[in-house]
Amino acid sequence: MELGIALGIAVVLAVFVVYPLLSGEKEGRESLPVDVTPSLDLKRRRMVVYENLQDLEFEFQARKIARADYETLRESYRTEAARLMLASKDLEQGNAEDVLIEREVAARRARRKDQIAEAYVCPACNFQNPVPVKFCGECGAPIAKPRMK
Amino acid sequence: MMDQVGSVGLIAALAFGIYAVIAGIAGGKSRSLRITRSAERATLGFFVMITVSVIALEFLILTNNFHAAYVAEHSNRDLPIYYKIPVLWSGQEGSLLFWTWLLSIYGGLAVFLNRNKNRQLMPWVVSFIMGVGVFFTGLTTFVANPFNKLSLAEAGKLIPFTAPDGNGLNPALQYPSMVIHPPMLYLGYVGMVVPFAFGMSALVTKQLGDNWIRTTRRWMMVPWMFLGFGIILGGHWAYDVLGWGGYWAWDPVENASLLPWLAGTAFLHSVMVQEKRGMLKVWNVVLVITTFFLSILGTFLTRSGIVQSVHAFAESDIGPYFAVFLGVILAVSLTLVFLRLEYLKSENRLDSIVSRESGFLFNNWILLAAVFAVLWGTIFPVISKAVEGRTITVGPPYFNKVVLPMGMLLLFLTGAGPLLAWRKTSFESLKRNFTFPLSIAALTGAILFFAGVHHLYAWMSLFLAAFVAACVLSEFYKGARTRQQTSGENFFTAIYRLTMRNTRRYGGYVIHLGVVMLFIGWAGLAFKTHVKGLMGEGDLLRAGPYLLRCNMLTGGDTPNYTYQQADITVVKNGEAYTTLTPERRFYKASQQPISHVAIRPTLSQDLYVVLAGQDPASGKAVIEVFINPLVQWVWLGGLVVFLGSLLALVPSRVEREMAEIRKAQSAALELRDAL
Repeated sequence: MELGIALGIAVVLAVFVVYPLLSGEKEGRESLPVDVTPSLDLKRRRMVVYENLQDLEFEFQARKIARADYETLRESYRTEAARLMLASKDLEQGNAEDVLIEREVAARRARRKDQIAEAYVCPACNFQNPVPVKFCGECGAPIAKPRMK
Repeated sequence: MMDQVGSVGLIAALAFGIYAVIAGIAGGKSRSLRITRSAERATLGFFVMITVSVIALEFLILTNNFHAAYVAEHSNRDLPIYYKIPVLWSGQEGSLLFWTWLLSIYGGLAVFLNRNKNRQLMPWVVSFIMGVGVFFTGLTTFVANPFNKLSLAEAGKLIPFTAPDGNGLNPALQYPSMVIHPPMLYLGYVGMVVPFAFGMSALVTKQLGDNWIRTTRRWMMVPWMFLGFGIILGGHWAYDVLGWGGYWAWDPVENASLLPWLAGTAFLHSVMVQEKRGMLKVWNVVLVITTFFLSILGTFLTRSGIVQSVHAFAESDIGPYFAVFLGVILAVSLTLVFLRLEYLKSENRLDSIVSRESGFLFNNWILLAAVFAVLWGTIFPVISKAVEGRTITVGPPYFNKVVLPMGMLLLFLTGAGPLLAWRKTSFESLKRNFTFPLSIAALTGAILFFAGVHHLYAWMSLFLAAFVAACVLSEFYKGARTRQQTSGENFFTAIYRLTMRNTRRYGGYVIHLGVVMLFIGWAGLAFKTHVKGLMGEGDLLRAGPYLLRCNMLTGGDTPNYTYQQADITVVKNGEAYTTLTPERRFYKASQQPISHVAIRPTLSQDLYVVLAGQDPASGKAVIEVFINPLVQWVWLGGLVVFLGSLLALVPSRVEREMAEIRKAQSAALELRDAL
């Protein structure tokens, strides 16, 4: 009896373990997500510098740090923060370009697939939207999500 | 039947473990979400099956199944139920199973808590944790199986045999703090596998930014806290049970538990330098490896019997397996570090020798020097035997001579480090921060000297303790005053908010206060006194300010043990002080005697009375009296360190903000995928 239960648990667990391999998942979500994107990394580093600045300010107010030390350190932290902010901005610009490229690719794919392109024709003004949209690019009317054939 | 259930549990767990290692590697290499999920689920499967084995063994113990060799060896019918549960970890086979079970809990928790983060690291983390899990499960299944049946050799054949009663639990383990001391230590030892796994995974995936180090700090903090608490509980047990009036004897197994704790302490400090300044990257990886290596080495020293110890209850022939495993750990981890050296370059350089960074660096050097010194003293008997052919044991004098100066330096840094600013500190800042604590320390030192404290290390400990306490308390005071001035909070609200704003820093300060208390307690060792005498009914014995009178010597019988007890009234400076009843027990099943010490504790000193035995000639009781100053500070200090560690584990504001950003980012990613 007890042995049967133990074996049963083992079998159920084996199914539980193998299950993710058998189940189909949505395309695009197959691979492991990235833990640290460059922008998140920069953001985190910037926050550390802000935290250091805050601590420095607090320690100066608490009279732990002499004025000369305080000023030198504040300057170096600020420079670092500015550098990181600039890097973030560069990255965001790069990202914006990436987004445009992605849109263009999506638009071309959409054009290739007639049935999808048709589905993005505005019901109000008949404008044929070149990319998948939720609202019409011409008149702003809502566009129902197309049904895939 | 339950022994078969236990064996099924072990074999199934082994299968899940092996699968998790392979699936983890496959998932990591292909970055496949599905395979990784499957590997993570196998880790949970491993946990469930090991749990089944643990329940089966506990069932065998609680129901007195003496056909199981382990139960017959370590339990008996009359053992109270609250001492039957610890039978699980009182012997070799059971404690290996218990080790594996804790590992499976840590593994399951690591998987569960990282289900939405560190996704690239997780398949590798699973592989490394389960790799260690497979080693321990393999040992438990094939080498030291707790489900083996008892058998008798008769006419060259082995015949199954059920013992009428068991040999009983080692009497030294039949003590309340012994019920929680080993699990605490094990939680410490075993838990070191998680930071190690994260470190290794970061090396494999080349993700050596500060993400892994932040995750690892928390995973290191938890076992470090348990290990420290376990060590203190072990000292408390030794003090109450062994009857020699002390709590630390530099026994190899004690040292073995101290080694990973010291290395972990070094890591928890140096990790801050990497987070704040992007430095010491190689050093931190090496410290994570060292800490894990030392925790396995500790288990090896305890198990193999290669060094003589009071903890000889779990010796066996599994040493060679551990030696090979230690070799594999070193080879794999050092190869990985070597291959990834270019990713571990420092982002900054040390600006000044007088800075917080260099304070941490000194602290690390001293801690590592202490690790080396303690390790050397511990394995010296083995080395001397190999080199000279005879075993030379180094005792407490060696350890005290080498480790005490290091302890003093560390205590100084405990106070001085937090007063130094990052990057560099000018003389003006030094003057501001050090004047007050140094004045307090100087005043304390002078008072102690004139009060007759002339023992160098005791005086220095108390002098530095005053210095560090003044440093830490002034940190709290200055911080709270500043908050009061800027926000108008009352003093106590300001202290609370100050602490909660940066739990890590102020939790650390609380730990430092605990360390101060520990050093105060250790300073008391210099003033310990000891008196021994024979006492019959009505006899008197003087020990310092105490006069002891033996009123009665009695004896008794319980199902588990027989005992002798002395009823002693104590008079201090002419006034009635207390009554103590030291006891000596003789356990029937194991045929072993043990003392139960009577202690009257106070913050200034403990009166510690042992009934050491009976004088055969006169029939009188052999009574030993120890006066142990300041011992209670050690236990209180240990508790404060534990509480400070808990505080440091509460997420601070920055960590909470980062968690929110990460959450928002993953929500945005999901939204993008959905569109």
